[in-house]
Amino acid sequence: MTHDQVRELVRRINPIPNPNELETVDVPVPVLERSMEMQVDERPVAQEDRGNRWRGPLIGIAAAAVVLVAGLIYVTTDRDPILAPAPNAIELPGEGQTLSAGAYFADTDGSSETTTRGTFVIEGTGWYSAGNGPVKEGMSIDSGVYVWLSVGELDRVWEAPCAGGTSAPAGSTAKALGDQFAAMPGFITREGLTPVSAFGHDGYHLVLEVPADCTASEQYNVWLSKNWGERYYQVEGQIVEYWFLDVENTTVMVEATRPPETGGSTVTELNSDLDAVLDTLVITP
Amino acid sequence: MAMDSQAGQRSRFETIWREHRLQVLAYCLRRVSGADAEDACAETFLVVWRRLDEIPPEPRTLLCIYGIARRVLSNQSRAFHRRGRLHERLTNLGVAPSSDPVDFVVQGAEGRKVAEAVGRLKPTDREIVRLDAWEYLTRDEIAEVVGMTRAAVDQRIHRAYKKLSRALTPLIDQIHSPPVAEKGGT
Repeated sequence: MTHDQVRELVRRINPIPNPNELETVDVPVPVLERSMEMQVDERPVAQEDRGNRWRGPLIGIAAAAVVLVAGLIYVTTDRDPILAPAPNAIELPGEGQTLSAGAYFADTDGSSETTTRGTFVIEGTGWYSAGNGPVKEGMSIDSGVYVWLSVGELDRVWEAPCAGGTSAPAGSTAKALGDQFAAMPGFITREGLTPVSAFGHDGYHLVLEVPADCTASEQYNVWLSKNWGERYYQVEGQIVEYWFLDVENTTVMVEATRPPETGGSTVTELNSDLDAVLDTLVITP
Repeated sequence: MAMDSQAGQRSRFETIWREHRLQVLAYCLRRVSGADAEDACAETFLVVWRRLDEIPPEPRTLLCIYGIARRVLSNQSRAFHRRGRLHERLTNLGVAPSSDPVDFVVQGAEGRKVAEAVGRLKPTDREIVRLDAWEYLTRDEIAEVVGMTRAAVDQRIHRAYKKLSRALTPLIDQIHSPPVAEKGGT
């Protein structure tokens, strides 16, 4: 079977083969800001002559749209950008301390003079503190089979971690910091630098894969935080997901380190546990 | 001046919204079910509004928005998995609704097998195949949406279609082969 034939088969299961068929659906108009609501006057005009192929699903979608259009104003403005951190969170204990289930916060710069923090909830067992976030091991840290969430402000970023060399001051905006990471040669880009809103703030998202011959040694440091030390990765194939966020007057990096994808059910479980923590993470200035 | 600038921003956003809203909604509806898709579509345009200065001009505008939508859906998926326990319990009771829009349109053994084979691809490979087959993007455009080099996209598409071909060839042969005559009898 040729690739063109395979593509044709995949095309046949396209749920929406023709986007123009959606013109009967009122696409929800986002409320852009509380003080400046957008009003789009040119709502799609329903056409008389339409095929019936998508009528069934469209009726369902349109019905949902009626509810959603009304509800979306509340949903988008209430949920974003203001999120509520878990109440009664306590500061992460020192490095290596076991974390029992509960709400914790990581001080992004380790200074009592500033208040920026990342608050999250730990469920289940097996987590311990890395100072700037929680860690859970499937095997040893050296094996790379672990998940690690770091929340912090960076001081320096290495320009070419896989080649050693020099570090530069960390970018002072989410974009500048993201650009530094995205430009690091050697790392495999899983998902390019993309603007996002995450954990209550605007910023950028990037996913890198750790390459071979760039691990397990301080000579391959990637970043440095004066409070949380230097960071290098352990094995080829580790997946590192970054969010670079503008949080009022500072830039916060959230780093989620995941194991190589070859580890089977342990990896799936660890990723699921990490995702559960990420779901609860809120950064507050 | 500030008012002019604000009006200009607003005008540009409205143009983008008018031009691309259906493609973005379709992109979302192809990947998640109706309500979640509409939510994701609105959230995507909210990010577009906030980052309007960084949205490239045509013809790259839609590619950039696809990239944003992809991230929004990924975040949404994470939240969905968090609700997984309830979904799991409902599944065990046989009442869990499908979250995959493909399930609603696929009919027949052939379609189901294709959907299953695509579903077994690695997430990034699956997305690249969908962008190729469903969004009709060129390889260069796919590279821009997923943030990879053109060479990496070429490699992944080749690998993914090869894998799909291996999985689907027996099925298609089976479906299109003539029925076997029954033995015996006169």
